[in-house]
Amino acid sequence: MKKNITFGVLLMALGFVACKKKENDPAPVVLEAKIVSNLPADPTVNSGTGQPQTATGKYTFYNLKDNAIVANTDSTSNKWDIGFRGTTIIINGGTVRSGQGGAYIYTGLFEDLKEIPATQEFATDVTNTQLAIPTGSGNGWYNYNPQQNWISPIAGKILVIKTGDGKYAKLEILSYYKDSPATPSATALARYYTFRYIYQPDGTKKF
Amino acid sequence: MQLFRIIMNNKSFYLLSYFIFISFSVFAQKDSVQLEEIVVTATRSERMLAALNMPVLLITQKQIQQIGALRLGQVLQEQTGLAIVNDHGQGIQMQGLAPEYTLILIDGEPLIGRTAGTLELSRLAVGNIKQIEIIKGATSSLYGSEALGGVINIITENPKQQKISFSSRYGTNQTSDFGLNASVQNKKWGGSIFMNRYGSLGYDFTPESFGKTVEPFSNYTFQSKIQYEFSPKIKLGISGRYFFENQESNFDVGNSQNPAFVTGKSSIKDFNFNPSVTWRISDKWKSYIRLYQSVYETKSKLNYISDNKEFDKTFFKQHFLRPELQTEYFISEKHILTLGIGNTWETVEATRYEGKKPFQTQYAYTQYEFLPTKKWNITFGSRFDNHTVYGSQLSPKASLQYDINKYIALRGSAGRGFKAPDFRQLYLNFTNNVAGYSVFGSEELPSLLQNLQAQNQIAEILLAPTEIGKLKAETSTSYNIGAKIKPSAKWTLNINLFRNELKNMIESQIVAIRTTGQSIFSYRNLNNIFTQGLETDMSFQLNQYIQIAGGYQFLEAKDREVLDKIEKGEIFKRDAHTFATTRVTKNEYGGLFGRSKHMFNFKILYENTQKGITANLRAVYRGKYGLGDRNGNLILDETNEYVVDYWTLHGTVSKDFWKKRLKGQVGVDNLLNYRDIQNILSLAGRLYWASIQWQIQKNTTK
Repeated sequence: MKKNITFGVLLMALGFVACKKKENDPAPVVLEAKIVSNLPADPTVNSGTGQPQTATGKYTFYNLKDNAIVANTDSTSNKWDIGFRGTTIIINGGTVRSGQGGAYIYTGLFEDLKEIPATQEFATDVTNTQLAIPTGSGNGWYNYNPQQNWISPIAGKILVIKTGDGKYAKLEILSYYKDSPATPSATALARYYTFRYIYQPDGTKKF
Repeated sequence: MQLFRIIMNNKSFYLLSYFIFISFSVFAQKDSVQLEEIVVTATRSERMLAALNMPVLLITQKQIQQIGALRLGQVLQEQTGLAIVNDHGQGIQMQGLAPEYTLILIDGEPLIGRTAGTLELSRLAVGNIKQIEIIKGATSSLYGSEALGGVINIITENPKQQKISFSSRYGTNQTSDFGLNASVQNKKWGGSIFMNRYGSLGYDFTPESFGKTVEPFSNYTFQSKIQYEFSPKIKLGISGRYFFENQESNFDVGNSQNPAFVTGKSSIKDFNFNPSVTWRISDKWKSYIRLYQSVYETKSKLNYISDNKEFDKTFFKQHFLRPELQTEYFISEKHILTLGIGNTWETVEATRYEGKKPFQTQYAYTQYEFLPTKKWNITFGSRFDNHTVYGSQLSPKASLQYDINKYIALRGSAGRGFKAPDFRQLYLNFTNNVAGYSVFGSEELPSLLQNLQAQNQIAEILLAPTEIGKLKAETSTSYNIGAKIKPSAKWTLNINLFRNELKNMIESQIVAIRTTGQSIFSYRNLNNIFTQGLETDMSFQLNQYIQIAGGYQFLEAKDREVLDKIEKGEIFKRDAHTFATTRVTKNEYGGLFGRSKHMFNFKILYENTQKGITANLRAVYRGKYGLGDRNGNLILDETNEYVVDYWTLHGTVSKDFWKKRLKGQVGVDNLLNYRDIQNILSLAGRLYWASIQWQIQKNTTK
């Protein structure tokens, strides 16, 4: 119940770019869900000269502990945990990464995942195309609707993440569009993530 | 007239055999005489409608003329339990099954040329139709592939006494229709010809954007029949049909900042040819030989307007050839046996296929009608199809009718239906370079995937071709149980409960991912669905002039896998505003997309034969139905995923002049001007029209 209330309060804070951190609590009994809104994931830019829209091709790296973007120059460090570029999500772990991370997709409600099973294996980014979070509509975290040309995060798909430095977090993607429009629209700007997550700083698998 | 009397006191089924053979000439009689209605589709031979033990809907020429319909879709949309659905064309949904599961026949032979499973209903003119027979429920026991949901058989006019008639019609959107029907019959031979031109300027729901909602089109239909009687025992028939349509195409393939207009034309050609011989070997034996052939061809070419360079050019050509032999044996008045064998050769060539792809099916069917007493009518049938690609299929069916008394008859049937994997599912080789995905037919997949792997273009195989295996036919088991009630001469009431269980539905699925991250799709036997419901029809003759009729269908259509997942709590939905995620409940699941739970139709028909006036008002209700997923869980569960329910109202008035040689008719379709420009592009607004029919030589009647 407490968690729900916390979440409700947090939801009201939605629309602000990031939430405040609470670092002064030495023994957090209740982990706080954080919401990240409108995180750009290499959005396309229209040059206005009639040329096709362009993107940089670079990932936006994120550190879950700090709840902050990590500079792209730190791509080969273990400072970042998760990276976004378009619909592709990478994890800082595996043969093509430098961190200790990994990930799997849990099917269920965000609140219901209280503990990662001890036997649970974490997939890693093996190559640049074989990723811990599979790409493609219906394979990983989203479904693509060709009629409406719309990407929807699949409800009940929770990314369980082992961070670059070996801690655990659970993350739920809420929207792929800027300001999280409730219904698909042709004018919405894609490649802006809104997600919520809980990071467990003590290294345990409990949330 | 002697013949007529035989039919009316048709106590002996032995006489049925006589009757069958000469029924055509009976139909040429004056139509004021009340004849028993004859249907051929249910048993592949002429039988009386009242004696059939499965749900059959008969639409007569008179009904078609009364509503002023021009194309098949307009007739079907007003029938109980039938819904027009739009997916790569206008198709028919029967008992909640998609258009690909209804077989459409002309004079008993299949129409070919489907796009993504849909057979475009507007290809069929109705100006020379004697009647339309609709069998609901699986009928693969007689017709083989595609007859899962049912069969629609369009029976065209046979040559009658000398007659020529013209018709012309004009209406909203500069829609015009011109028809000619001519027929001659001598003692030995008869011939008929039908010509039709139908065209429209189309309409546009979004004038601000380039290209119309429905682009201008025109089409032509030519149909002819020749019959020759060598002797009273041997009769030759040749029928041919040619259809041609041209339509403009205009698209904007760019985006709002950089429009890129393309323009061009697309065409459809459709040709059928069917010589047949009917041989009445003896009183008890009757055989038919038919050699049916059909070609369906489409072409389209689109060029950029700016520099006239080619944007896209496609073609599709399908060929169908089928010899068939059918024999009926009237063992006695209680037993009738039908046997048939045939072979089908089909080929397809198209832009999206590698080379010419052939199919072959051998088949045999048998049917046994057992009439132990006057109250019972039992039919067993079975058909075996052997196909070169997917293997073989056995489709049995049993149906029976029991007349409790002269007011109530009960009937029930159970049968298996199937649909063979089509050319697209087996042989497609299509890559969309713009969106960057590929679709490979299951037979093409192994080699194409191997090639791509050899070129290091495959990042990951999600589903190996060995896992998919050979595509199997989609199969169904269908049950119908109902009653025909006729409390008095004024009332008729039909009730039917149905259930269809479909297995091995072929779905497209991602099988591999390219190194570029783009998906490769193929086809696989995957889902199991069911549809069930109730349909009921009634009609009431209020007085000499006015008839009231109505129908209702209740329908449930669901995917078994989805239901299982919901039960296990594996399907979720997220509130778009609060982001709260919940498990989808069974109540929230709206079933398959495109199905209305409730459909109504209601008609008032007025006919004054003395004054030559007819008038009618018809209302059709389509309950809300799912359009497509919007919240990412792929199932129908949100209010905004539905198309709202709606009514359409139609009416016509007609008057005969000059001893029935001239008939004028005016009408309005979609009187309430209901439109849903977001979701239902095929529903034009209110359409007014007026027509004239002129018979140069009236039917000479004895």
